[in-house]
This record gives sequence, C-alpha cells and structure tokens, in this order.
Amino acid sequence: MKRLACVVLCAVLIAALAAGAVAADKVTLVLSGWQASPEEQQLVADALKVFAQKHPNIEVKYEPIVEDFATKIKTMLAARNAPDVFYVDIFWAEPLMSRGMLLALDPYMAKTGTKRSDFAETLLNGFTYNGKTYGIPKDFNTLGLFYNKKMFDEAKIPYPTPDWTWETLREVAKKLTKIVGDPSKDRYGICLPVDAARFRPFLVQSGAQFLDKTGKKCLFASPEGVRALDYYTSFKMKDKSAVIPSEVGAGWGGDAFGKERVAMVLEGGWLIPYLDNNFANVEYGVCELPKGPAGRGNVYFTVSYSVAASCKHPEEAWLLVEHLTGYENQKKVLETGFALPTRVALGDHPFFKSNPNMAAIFKGYAYAVPWQFGEHGEKIMNVLNQSIEKIYLKNEQPDKAMNDAVREIDGILSE
Amino acid sequence: MNPLPGTQSNAQPGSAWSRAAARLRKEKVSEAITGYLFVAPFLLTIGTFVFLAAVYALYLSFHKYDLFTPPEFVGLANYRRLLADRDLRIALRNVVIYAAGVVPIQTAVALFLAVLANQRLKLRGFFRSAYYVPCITSSVASSIIFMWLYYKQGIINYILSLLRLPSDTDWLGNPSTALPAIMTLVIWTTSAYFMVVFLAALQDIPVSVCEASRIDGASTWQTFRHVTLPLLRPSIFLVVVLGTIGCMQVFDQVYIMTRGGPLKSTMSIVYLVYTEAFGDLKFGYGAAMAFALFAVIFVLTLIQRRLLDIRIEY
Repeated sequence: MKRLACVVLCAVLIAALAAGAVAADKVTLVLSGWQASPEEQQLVADALKVFAQKHPNIEVKYEPIVEDFATKIKTMLAARNAPDVFYVDIFWAEPLMSRGMLLALDPYMAKTGTKRSDFAETLLNGFTYNGKTYGIPKDFNTLGLFYNKKMFDEAKIPYPTPDWTWETLREVAKKLTKIVGDPSKDRYGICLPVDAARFRPFLVQSGAQFLDKTGKKCLFASPEGVRALDYYTSFKMKDKSAVIPSEVGAGWGGDAFGKERVAMVLEGGWLIPYLDNNFANVEYGVCELPKGPAGRGNVYFTVSYSVAASCKHPEEAWLLVEHLTGYENQKKVLETGFALPTRVALGDHPFFKSNPNMAAIFKGYAYAVPWQFGEHGEKIMNVLNQSIEKIYLKNEQPDKAMNDAVREIDGILSE
Repeated sequence: MNPLPGTQSNAQPGSAWSRAAARLRKEKVSEAITGYLFVAPFLLTIGTFVFLAAVYALYLSFHKYDLFTPPEFVGLANYRRLLADRDLRIALRNVVIYAAGVVPIQTAVALFLAVLANQRLKLRGFFRSAYYVPCITSSVASSIIFMWLYYKQGIINYILSLLRLPSDTDWLGNPSTALPAIMTLVIWTTSAYFMVVFLAALQDIPVSVCEASRIDGASTWQTFRHVTLPLLRPSIFLVVVLGTIGCMQVFDQVYIMTRGGPLKSTMSIVYLVYTEAFGDLKFGYGAAMAFALFAVIFVLTLIQRRLLDIRIEY
C-alpha cells in the first residue's frame, strides 16, 4: 500500500515537473476564501473557468481555508506567504490596511479603467484607507426580518410590512409565542441571540451614535443606547416571547427558524440558500426591519477581494479581482440568489422585482451602518455581547449593563 | 563505587592499563556520539519548535508587536499592564478553581481505574483499552460530543427528565454550571492517561512487599492504605504535577465549547492569550501573559513538591 502510494506520488511529481517545464511562462495565482457552502464553491469555480478562458496565461489555484479564516490569513500575511488574492471582511480590514499588508489597487484600476464610482460608495469606503483603495467589495448583506408564513396564517396576523414599528414587533412576537408545557415543542415569537451584530440595528433605530467626534469616546450609554438595549432584551426578559438558539436546541438563529421553533428571526441573505437546502418545506418571507423611535436602521456585512502587498504578480492579481467583482460575475451571483451586488449598475436589476425576499435585504442598505468597530473590533464586540448576556443571565438592569459596557469600551479605545 | 572507566588511573603512560583506559574512553565517546545521533531528530524538533519558540516569546514579551510591523521595545510595560488586567484576574481565578476541582478527582479516578485494571480478571486487556479510548480521542471531537450531551435539549437533560428531576438547565449556557461541565469532560478524557502511569507504578511494586504485609495479618484495604499507597508516592506526585500543569493550560475545550463564556465564567489564561494575540493583535502582551502563567505554574509545582515530599521507599 505504502509502496503504491509512493509510486503514484512520484508519478504525480514527475508529471507536475513536466507540466511546469511546458508552462514556464504561465503566471500562477493563489486565491483563498473561507470554506463556504457547496453552491457557493461552485459559483467561484464557474467564475474561474470563465477567467481561464479569458486569460489562458494565468493559472488560478483556488485554496479555501476551512477553519478560523481571519487567524490563518493574519499569520500568513505576517510570514509573507499569504495567498495572492483573498477575502477580507470589513470587520477586520482596518488593521490590515493601516499596516501596509494589502496592495493599494488604485494604479491598477486606472490601467484597466475601473472607477471607484462603479461601486456603492459606502461599501467601498470600508476598504479605503488614507484615500487609497485596498479591496473591492465582492458582495454584501444586511439583516432582514424572516417570518414563518404558516405561523402568521394560523394566528391570523398579517405578514410584516416595512411600516412596522418597535411596538408592532413586540406585540406580534407575544402573540406568536405558544407555550404548550413541553420544552421540546414550545414555540417562541422571535430569536434574539447574545449577538452584537443582531443588536446593532436597534441602536441605529434608536438614534444612538457609536463614537463622538474625537473617536475616543463611545456614545452607546446615551438614553438612546440604553433604550435600544432595554428593547432588545425585553422580549426575553419581560414578555418571554424570545429565546436564544441554544434554548430550543439550535446551533444558530437560522437553525431555530428552520426547525420552526421560532416564528421570526433577524438574518441576512445567507439564510435563504440554507433554508432551501436544509428546510425546504418551511414557507417564509423576508421583510425590512421595523422602524425605531429614531427611524430606520440596519447593519451591513461586506467582504472584499484584496491583494496581498507581498504578491509577486500584482497586474495579474488585479485582473482576477476585476473579473471576480465584474458586472457579469456579480450578475450571475445575484441571479442565483446568494448575495447582493456591489456594483451600482446592478442596483435596479429586474431580479429584485421578481424576488421580494432579496429586495427586502437590499433595501436595508440605504440606512445601514457597517458591521465593524475599528481597530479593536473583536474586543468591543465581546463587551457588547456581554452586556446582553448580563441581562439574560443575571437579570441586570439595561442602564447599568450599558454604562459598564461603555466604560470598558472607552478603556479599549484609549489603549 | 568503582572508579569510572576512563577516569585517570595511577598507571604509567604507555602501560597496558592506560591503553585499555584510552580504548574505553574512545568507546565511551563513540557510544555517546551514537546515542546523540539517535536522539538528534527529536532534539532538533523540540529545540526549534519548543525551546527556540519559548526564547523568542520571552523576547517578544518585552516588545510591542502586532504581527505586521517590526517589534518595538517597550521594556516592562507589558508586565506592568498584566497587574491591572481585570480579565487576567478572572481567568486566573477560573483556572485555579478548575485545577482544584479536576486534579484531585482525576488522580483518584486514575488510581481507582489502575487498581481495577491491575486485577487478574478476564478481559483485562479489553477494559484497559476501553478506559484508554477517551484519552486518544481528539479533544475537538470529544468537546463536540459533550456539547450535545450538555445542550438544553441534550441527552443529560433527557435522562434527568426520565428520572423526574429538573431538566431545563442549559449546562454550557449557565455561568454557574459551564466550568463544572468542562471539568467533567476533562476528568473523563484525562483520567485514563494517568491510569497508565499508576498501572506502571503498581506493576513495579515488588510482590514480596505486599505478601509480607498479608502474612503480618493486614487486610486488603490496610495493605493498600499503608503499603501500596506510600510506595506510589512518586507517581502520585508526577500525576498531580502533570495534571496541574495541564489544567492551568486548558484551552481546546474552552475554545470549542464556550469561547470563555458565559460571562467569562470559563475564560482560561491560554484562551485569553489567544484572544489578545490573534483577536486584538497584541502579540507582545500575549507573550507576557504566557510567561506570567509559566511563573504561576512554576510556583505551584514547587509548593506541590514541598507538600508531597517525594521519597522512594524501597
């Protein structure tokens, strides 16, 4: 067995060497993203096929990273052996840009005639540092209110509309909660996990700003901020109409929704293929988030294709980024219903008319804030998570939880 | 004591004695070279990946280092920051509670299993292997399996509900049960490892010693309590020290099962080092924290040495 493996390996090596000798003038690029769903992998593979036809002299090796993508990419960048082109999440983009780990794309964009104005400005700004572009957003997502149509019909409640207010959501969540006395069958109105990303839109809807003008002081402890935390946690604490996923034996909100243990959940477009593949019989709709006392608010998630500063073939790497974020490819991604396009030209694509679920998630972008908290984002996110956790687990008062959290955040910001 | 071969004898140079001594010396040297050659691969890997890495970490702990820009010397600033770090105090408290819970139980269970596995029963080999399986299972796999047991609607609560006991605890989601839940898992996975240590020690005890005590009229329990146990003292010391070091460095289970939550109740020092370094890009500070942990472990080991006072009794 071992000998056979050895022989095969040698044969492969020799073949590889021979191939290398033939294609000496070929440029090889490594492309990495996180391990996504099979469908999404297929999309990347298809895009690379088209790219190979367009640029036969560039060979692209697609090497997805399975676990802990951010950690692995950071260490690879430090060791100067990062992939040439890879995903950068807006959440941890800043330290990479400020420390010169990424290639400024502007000169290459100019050469091929790609303009910054081709892309949604807000999204692009997440990958801009000191006026230079360090990544092209490949797609984006916001949060929508997913609702289970069957449960609404049973309770004779009209489906959510964009005109819903905070009060409507609370009322409906209460009505949709059905406690039958068997913990494996109880049903709840909504899933509100210990997760700052799900809580962030309510801060915007309540009118709470993240930072003051100096950027060193967090403003979440304002009456508006406390109001948002109080609202988010009152479902579970006061109305008993919300659960966290683990309480209903689910791994995450989308899972709880798919298992029909909750009637509503706040998720992004990623939930659509997840439901279609795992819970095909759940009939659901998606609506914009309700209006808060200060108006509409949402949060957007986006990921760029960026090029490592240490990349040896920047010209070719840019061609790949341009292709992957190009009009044709984004159009294809949109039409499969995976994620939203970042190109302005696709904003009024007919697809949205025929697909109200994606349209609802797309609309959220108009009033969304980016999902990031700057340089120390990870720590700040953990502090916010704990403020929710303190209320859920220790019944702490929202004003105290928020004040403590902001004191900690200010400490982090002054480091 | 015989004089060591190769040491200077009072023989005349050129005599047969000194020639023999020279030959012995040569043999000794070549034997040593052979020996070192055999362990070279191991020494090189350990030297590079453990010793050199530790030295470099010590160097980093006096620097500000974010992985991307060159390290910048800051003297003792990182160590000064440690003293004011609230999270570190929480983590230290957690691992001390954790070690105080895990080490005694795991030592007792390991000893009990070793005595069992040392009996002359049928299927002895099967039982030994069965006990040992948890310990060669990957910690990631066993953590995930135990997560299923601990879920609010997991198997443990299901069994409790059959027994008509309160069964709505979210074992890993509750600050007062999350750490004990991880302790239970670790006791289950590591006891068998230390069982092997005790098993080896039990088989080293001369049969004649036990027989003598039986002839003197000691019961089985008395023999175990006053003969076997004192003779096991060195291996008990070893197990307690290794167990404590392992507990102070707990990471995998925390990372997989709770991420230090809920409310920092399972935050361990190594998990904190990981989040500071990789999450917040403070590698210098993380290194300083790791060395603080080293100091704590070192002091604990010294104390244990004092308390257990190892003497080999035969």
